[in-house]
Amino acid sequence: MPTKSISNYLAAGLLFLAAALVATGWYLEPRRIVFWTVAMLFIACLAVILVLISRRSTDNAAGLRRGIVFAGVILVIPLGLKLAATFSPIAHSGVSQRAMMIIIGAFLVATGNALPKTLTPLSALRCDPVRAQAFQRFAGWTWVLAGLALALAWLLLPLRIADSATFVVLPGAILIIVTQLARLRRSRPDAATGNGSI
Amino acid sequence: MNLVFKALSDPTRRRVLQLLRRRPMSAGELSAHFDVSKPTMSAHFAVLQTAGLIEAEKNGRTILYRLKMSVLEDALLAFTHTLGWNWKPKSRDSVSRMAANSRHKLRPAKEEV
Repeated sequence: MPTKSISNYLAAGLLFLAAALVATGWYLEPRRIVFWTVAMLFIACLAVILVLISRRSTDNAAGLRRGIVFAGVILVIPLGLKLAATFSPIAHSGVSQRAMMIIIGAFLVATGNALPKTLTPLSALRCDPVRAQAFQRFAGWTWVLAGLALALAWLLLPLRIADSATFVVLPGAILIIVTQLARLRRSRPDAATGNGSI
Repeated sequence: MNLVFKALSDPTRRRVLQLLRRRPMSAGELSAHFDVSKPTMSAHFAVLQTAGLIEAEKNGRTILYRLKMSVLEDALLAFTHTLGWNWKPKSRDSVSRMAANSRHKLRPAKEEV
């Protein structure tokens, strides 16, 4: 059970840090009361979920724990950078936005990478297994490339161009995957003789 | 990750993965593409399964092998295939050792028949 305890402590630590950063931000910028309240409520919800699942060792609980850790990272890095930008004369406000988008890009890469590894049992498949396999691989590659493009755009390009690139890359990737999914749903399970091509 | 590198280092195993890219296949269908003994093929399948690159699923009386590669592993396969990378361990090859073990296990069964 050491993995469970480590992720519990990591998630709790990240949530505590995020709460501290939100409290500091609230103190420094009291005008944005709605933003800080929503952020605090969100952190409180995550903390309640973490307490509820802390003793469970099911796959669902592990997935939720990973999600809370990721949410904590997404909160802590931009909030920390924003706070640093407030005190540092060199840092500018775009850093926190860049950091958050790079993290989201990394998340897309990680989820896309794992996508072809999640197999549904052949007996449970409602479509052609050949097409299902091809779709999973295609969707995985699309998601990974979209994540990489997003992360690189926010790392290298000016803010305005990176912002526009996000609106091209993400909806484009989603559209491509949804189109492929629609084609997959049209295929019949009885075509699953294994002799057909994609 | 070491297991993945080891699995991808062999040209036979790389070819198995390329065949499975097309569709899920049974052990017999896959073996038909190679001029090697069945125990050796079984050992190759075992290495690929241990590395988590393929998954075996029982379908009636046959066992179907399916590709279970992440995008990174897929890219690694393409990379090693392009380079024709062949990794040879210093010690006795684990596949030939595993194949010898399976032959040893098969012998008493044959005698009973």
